[in-house]
Amino acid sequence: MAIDAAAARHDSSLEREALGWIRNPYEHVGWSNTKIHSMPRQEVEAIQLAALNIRLEQRRQQIQVLQKLADAQGIRKFDSLDDAAPLLFPHDVYKSYPVSLLAKQRFDQISKWLSRLTPYDPSGVDVSGCDSIDAWLVKLQQETPLDVATSSGSSGTCSFYPKSKRDYVVCVQGMRTQLAQKFGVPPTEADLNAKIHAVVPLYRDGHASTGAFPRYIRDIFCRGDENYLHTAFPFKISSDLMWLAARLRAAAGRGEAGKVDVPPALLARRAEWEAAQKHMPAQQLAFVQRMVRELRGQRVLVMGTSNLLYAAAKRGLDEGYTGSFAANSVFMGGGGAKGVPLPDDLEEVICRFFGTDRMISAYGMTELNAQAIQCSHDKYHQLPWAVVYLLDLETGRPLPRSGLQTGRAAFFDITQDGTWGGIITGDLVTIDWDTPCGCGRTSVAMNKRIQRVSELQGGDDKISCAATPQAQADAMDFLTSF
Amino acid sequence: MTRPVSYAVIRGKVIDTDLIEFGGRGGDITFLAPDPHRIVDQLALGNPTKMADLYELSFDQILDYLGELGSRLEVGRNDYLREAREMSYATAPTTVPIMKAFFEHMPAMFDPRRIRDMCEFNIGIPYLEGWVQKSINGSNVGIRAYGSRALHIVAGNGPVLGALTILRGAVTRGDTIIKVPSNDPFTTGAIARTMVDMAPDHPITRHVAVAYWRGGDQVVESKLYQPHSIEKIVAWGGFASVRHVTQYIQPGLELISLDPKRSASIVGGEALENDLIMQECASRIATDVGANNQTACANCRMVYVVCGTDELGVEKLKRLGRKVYDAMLKLPSDLSTKPKRYDPDLKSKVDTLRLSEDWYTVIGGTEGEGAVIVSHTADRVDFYEYLADRTVNLVPVDTLDEVLDVIDAYTQTVGIFPESLRERVRHLGALCGGQRFVSLGYAFNGPGLVGPQDGIEPLRRMCKWIISEEPLPGRKPFWECAEGEVSMVA
Repeated sequence: MAIDAAAARHDSSLEREALGWIRNPYEHVGWSNTKIHSMPRQEVEAIQLAALNIRLEQRRQQIQVLQKLADAQGIRKFDSLDDAAPLLFPHDVYKSYPVSLLAKQRFDQISKWLSRLTPYDPSGVDVSGCDSIDAWLVKLQQETPLDVATSSGSSGTCSFYPKSKRDYVVCVQGMRTQLAQKFGVPPTEADLNAKIHAVVPLYRDGHASTGAFPRYIRDIFCRGDENYLHTAFPFKISSDLMWLAARLRAAAGRGEAGKVDVPPALLARRAEWEAAQKHMPAQQLAFVQRMVRELRGQRVLVMGTSNLLYAAAKRGLDEGYTGSFAANSVFMGGGGAKGVPLPDDLEEVICRFFGTDRMISAYGMTELNAQAIQCSHDKYHQLPWAVVYLLDLETGRPLPRSGLQTGRAAFFDITQDGTWGGIITGDLVTIDWDTPCGCGRTSVAMNKRIQRVSELQGGDDKISCAATPQAQADAMDFLTSF
Repeated sequence: MTRPVSYAVIRGKVIDTDLIEFGGRGGDITFLAPDPHRIVDQLALGNPTKMADLYELSFDQILDYLGELGSRLEVGRNDYLREAREMSYATAPTTVPIMKAFFEHMPAMFDPRRIRDMCEFNIGIPYLEGWVQKSINGSNVGIRAYGSRALHIVAGNGPVLGALTILRGAVTRGDTIIKVPSNDPFTTGAIARTMVDMAPDHPITRHVAVAYWRGGDQVVESKLYQPHSIEKIVAWGGFASVRHVTQYIQPGLELISLDPKRSASIVGGEALENDLIMQECASRIATDVGANNQTACANCRMVYVVCGTDELGVEKLKRLGRKVYDAMLKLPSDLSTKPKRYDPDLKSKVDTLRLSEDWYTVIGGTEGEGAVIVSHTADRVDFYEYLADRTVNLVPVDTLDEVLDVIDAYTQTVGIFPESLRERVRHLGALCGGQRFVSLGYAFNGPGLVGPQDGIEPLRRMCKWIISEEPLPGRKPFWECAEGEVSMVA
């Protein structure tokens, strides 16, 4: 069922609001950061519930895995936000294909597996000529609305999350709306429409979040102007290499690195990667120099995973550079909660290099369009179109939306276009539901300290979007040791 | 409610003062134990010559002591042990009927005959009793197994490891310090208190020290884990605990590591040929999976079945899977029960596979009772390292060689069915890292821990093997040799 058909049937004012959020929430609220974070909670929750029901009705016909789950639980309608909790997907679902399919490059089979998770059926795309993950993902990118996101976990598996291009657009629009505008101040024309220099210490291209975002940042922050996009590494981060690295790490953990078999297509690209690897230190330095010289005094939005941001800043300081940017510049890191140890002097180094007294961070993940930005009171404020759940660690049931609660975070992102928006994370989050945040925002505020549930419980399967250079170096060491 | 106490028992003295609070594993319960920082200085024996008293005992006297102790460990007549058992219900990973069975069978471990056979089989009693003389290369050589000052970090998945450690220490004439685990903090102390009541001044009692401290307690460990205090550390299980201990290993301090392991089984295609043999195979799998609720390293977690990966093979495997599930639910309750708590993370992973029905069939598991996951391809589930609480993965393969690929140094027990596969599986399996090969269904129904374990021989390793050499008559001394006549052959 298309959303337009839904619109015809859902014509209460709540449902009209919900449909506005589903279509494009930023447009719907007039691109105002202040408005987004000033809605009364009751009103937000009512719209959320309406949106959840519209999504359920629509998606259960389009996404087989959801249909199966909803049928098994006998769920046809949500009477409260908590009713949706049994239909939130564990993140493992996005890597629940047999790994041998990947090793044997049976991309037709993986497409078939993926087709059960998305309304955009990729199983019709001819992928018989694909001999790598990258080739397969590019093919899907070309022939479907999808732009599948990959990430590799420490168990050596690779997850495929069927984001659509629209998902990336909505996500990055959300970042621009929240980062370029000061809360409480109406947006300026420049905030809304000017080309802004985006400094992104990531890769130019790729299917993992460290490579995919710059494409969309260029469109939305730089208004399509390549010269306003500043990435550290001008090449594509290979998903095949990431997967190899993840398998190597997992195998090394088991003391059996010698048993990892490398697909021939990967071996064939060894020389190419060797060259890329060799140039990386110089590229990083050039990136730092460009930033310091060409962008002096300019308004910049610096965005990246904290560890890559740190690496660039540290390199800059080591070489004797510091940056100096316009006062309305913003410096944002993220990814610190994902099991990647961050250096103690992270904030200090980044602030010193970028010449700012404040570095903010954001809480987000590949599986969500919504990015929660840190406020001046050190809380991550979730967007109204992402319903927040804290789940009891033992029972998986939602904890009350009142008082001080700590639980496993789960979300329903109403804007999710490429797949079902409900996702259960591995993060342990604390929320004080009853005390409004001192910053003035009314949106749900998550405490800054976020842990991995697995750290708490001993075992671990860290899914990380952040450790790419190290992972790449590990993989290179392996590939070049033949 | 008064909180339970994990008593320290140090060399004949029960210590129940300066109690401080510790949290049970997973935050289940808290218990009290003597402040380890106040007792750490008493734990070690100190001067190794203090072990001489153990050498005034004959092996028979040691057996008499252990036999007497065993008869006092009948849980119905031993208040300490009964109390420990009741308190352990809260901390143990298994359930009440299984714990009851563990305690019930404890006296049998101390049966002098059984211990004698084990020592004879594993070491040779003459080596424990005195010097065993042999002539070789013109010398008369004496070999004797001496006890060592050993610290044991025991695992807590079953309450028998403390008992086993005490008896191993006694028969090797060792000095035994036991760090008890937080998932079994009471049982070993109860045994040691029984020893104190029985014979407080007996050398065996005086060479046992039992205490709890939190693994990783720098104050305790940096004082105790030193070559002048102990010679060996025997560490059972727990990747983190073994890893952690390695930082103290240095010349003069040896690590005997019984690493965390997992176990798998291999089934030939002929086991699926007819219903009768399939039923037998299912009962065997269910037994090795379900015993003690799959808390031990020897529990089967994956079964590779050479049934082929075509549709026919997978259909047969699903049938086997249903039979395994049924058989598991029928196991006697002192062997296996519904698990105490089904790990919610594991449940979420298993439930996720239910949504992937093209690739996996999940049988059971909705009530936390355990589950059988049938793979439809030759892939084990990606969370195979976390399979627990009676959850087994059946994996179809086309050839035996594919199976051998997944046996590695972390594979302890390999169950085999039918027996015709044994020669090939155990030879190639041993090359790949497998350490114990059993008939499927007998992982817990064998001779006991009588010899090699995890590819080493712990009882022999706990000894210091001493050699004494005398020249035989006619051996020419070097000082009488002319230039060029000396021949030093290593």
